[in-house]
Amino acid sequence: MSTADLIKIGASVVIFILCLVGNIHFKGVIKNFSNEVDKKTIKKKKKLKTLCFSGMLISIWFALGVFITWFSGKHSAMHIEFSMFSDRSSVELFGLKLGETTIYTMIIVLIVTILCLIFRFFVFPKFKDKPEGFQNVIELCVETVENFCIDATGKKAGKSLAPYMFALAIYLVLSASFELFGLRAPTSDLVVTFSMGLITFILLNFFGFKKLGIGGRFKAMGGPMVAMRPIMIPMKIVSDIAIPISLACRLFGNMLGGMIVMELLKGALGGYAAGIPGIAGLYFNLFHPLIQAYIFITLSLTFIDEAMEGLEEE
Amino acid sequence: MGSAIAMLTALGAGFGMCFATAKAVESVARQPEAASKIQTILLLGCALAESTAIYAFVVALILSGK
Repeated sequence: MSTADLIKIGASVVIFILCLVGNIHFKGVIKNFSNEVDKKTIKKKKKLKTLCFSGMLISIWFALGVFITWFSGKHSAMHIEFSMFSDRSSVELFGLKLGETTIYTMIIVLIVTILCLIFRFFVFPKFKDKPEGFQNVIELCVETVENFCIDATGKKAGKSLAPYMFALAIYLVLSASFELFGLRAPTSDLVVTFSMGLITFILLNFFGFKKLGIGGRFKAMGGPMVAMRPIMIPMKIVSDIAIPISLACRLFGNMLGGMIVMELLKGALGGYAAGIPGIAGLYFNLFHPLIQAYIFITLSLTFIDEAMEGLEEE
Repeated sequence: MGSAIAMLTALGAGFGMCFATAKAVESVARQPEAASKIQTILLLGCALAESTAIYAFVVALILSGK
C-alpha cells in the first residue's frame, strides 16, 4: 500500500468519525427538543443529521473503493468486456453443448414450475368464495391480464391468449432480474428473443387463418381494390415476415443496451464500484425490462388483432 | 467510423420521442380524465420511436465488432 492510499483511508476514517459524532450529537438534541413546539429548529437539526449520515456513507464508500483498488490492482482505463452473442459451448450436459443463456432459461422454467406446483397443491385448496389477502392479489393479476387481452383482440381470442401472455410477462421480468446477480440475461441473447418473436408470428397466422379462412385472409391482405391485389399481397407477406424480426431485435437491443451501460458504469468506476451499480441496476435491470415486457405483449396483441381483421362489409 | 455514423439515428429517435411526449403533455393538460389512456398510448409510441434508435445501435455493434 502506497502512502497516498494510506492518506486517503486516514482522511475517510477521520471524516467517518466526525460524522458519527455529529450524528449522535444531533440525535440527542432532537430527542431533547421533542417536548417543545419549536418545529423549525427541529427541522434544521434533522437536516443536519441526514447530512452527517450521508457523510458517513460516502466515507465508507470511499474507503472501500481505495481498499478494493489496492486489493485488485490498478485497473487500466475503461476496460470493458462483452460479446454480442453469448457463447454456445460453455456447458456440456448429456453430450449436448449448451450455451449459458440456455441454462439460465432452464433455471427460470424450473423456478416457475416449482412455484406453480406449490400454488396448485398448497395455496389453491385454501381459496374461498370470498377472496381474502393473497387470493385477492392473484385474482387481480389474472383479471387484469385477461381484460387487457380481451380489450386488444376480442373476447374469444383474448381469453385463450391471456395465459400465454401472462407467462411471457413473468418470463421476461424474471430473466431480466438475472442481470442483477451479474449473470447474462437470457433475453440479451438474439436466439431467445427471436424464438419468442417466432411464437408471435405463428400465433398471428393461426388466429388469422382460423377466423377468416385461407381465402378470406388473402382477401384481407389484398385490400378492397381487386386490381391492386397482386401487388398488395406480396408486400403484406413481406411486412408480416418482418414482424418477428423487428420484435426480436427490439427486445434484444434493449437488453443488450442495458447490459452495456452497466458494464460501462462498472468499467468507469473501477474499484469504486461498491453499491452504485446496484442502485443503477434497479432502473436498467428491473424498470426498463418491465416496460419492455409490456411493449412486447402489447405489440404481439396488436399484430394478432391486425391479422384477424377482415374486410369491411359494404 | 461507420458505427459512429449509424448512431446518428439516435438524433431522429430523440426528436420523435420529444414530439410525442410534448403532444401527450398537451392533451393531458387539456383533458386530465383521459390521462391513463394517453399514458398507455404514449408508452407504446415512445417504444416504437425508440426502436429505430435500437436498430441503429445493433447495426453499430455489428459494424464495430468486425
